[in-house]
Amino acid sequence: MRFHVCCGFDLQLSSDIFRDLLDSIIVDVASESHRIARLGIDRNLDLKEEELRLSAEARARASDPSHSGEANGKYIVDIFGQSHPAIANEIFDCMNCGRSIMAGRFAPHLEKCMGKGRKARLKATRSTTAAQNRYTRGSPLSTQTPYSNSPSINRSSNGSSAIAGDDYSNGNLEEP
Amino acid sequence: SRRHSVNRPPTPDVRDDDDDRPKKPSLLEIVNIKLIESGEKERLMELVRERLVECGWKDEMGALCRAVVKKNGRENVTVDDLVRAITPKGRASIPDSVKAELLQRIQTFLVSVAH
Repeated sequence: MRFHVCCGFDLQLSSDIFRDLLDSIIVDVASESHRIARLGIDRNLDLKEEELRLSAEARARASDPSHSGEANGKYIVDIFGQSHPAIANEIFDCMNCGRSIMAGRFAPHLEKCMGKGRKARLKATRSTTAAQNRYTRGSPLSTQTPYSNSPSINRSSNGSSAIAGDDYSNGNLEEP
Repeated sequence: SRRHSVNRPPTPDVRDDDDDRPKKPSLLEIVNIKLIESGEKERLMELVRERLVECGWKDEMGALCRAVVKKNGRENVTVDDLVRAITPKGRASIPDSVKAELLQRIQTFLVSVAH
């Protein structure tokens, strides 16, 4: 760096830096005092006590049933005054099967839809050969590619061609 | 062509030419970046805060602020009001020992980044 390092340093530079540091701290102090003034905490100079009291009050207000809170059933109000239903109710299309799904029900749907459950595995397209079924026995996860699990695929037992070729057999699967 | 160069007007001094080159970082800016990146700025801030609490400077500033709040009214006071009110006294009432300690640390830092 190209500043004057003759006996070490630039005095003006370090003064400037110190001045900036001090100004930042002055702003911090002013900001803190401003907050205390606006919150009315300065009446009770024990800050921590006051803040604990305030947050306890806020919590009580939030869980107060006489508020537009629990009394309305499942709706509670957040800090912006908005209320949200307990189960997210935006509806969109599942990218796996194409059905219209409610957001709050999407995770369980996806489990079934993508093959975590037994029914989903049975729904899945089967491999072409029974030998393949035996080979993959015991394998826990489904790795179906998207679009392979269309509800219109029928279960057929005789070496029907699989679209995705993924299959998982457990003891319950019918052998062709 | 040599004659032309003799008659050339002197090169303008670009060091103070901030208007034409707003993007050229000043030495202070460069040092500031180094301070922040190395974490030294944060350490310095903590050190200053600690010293200023110990010597009662922060309480003095707090009292000044309360006076402003009382005068202007709790709901009317802005952070800027408070900053403007305490800055002159704030800068002037820094104990010499604190200032010396900080300047020393800053200078040490400057030497360390110069190499």
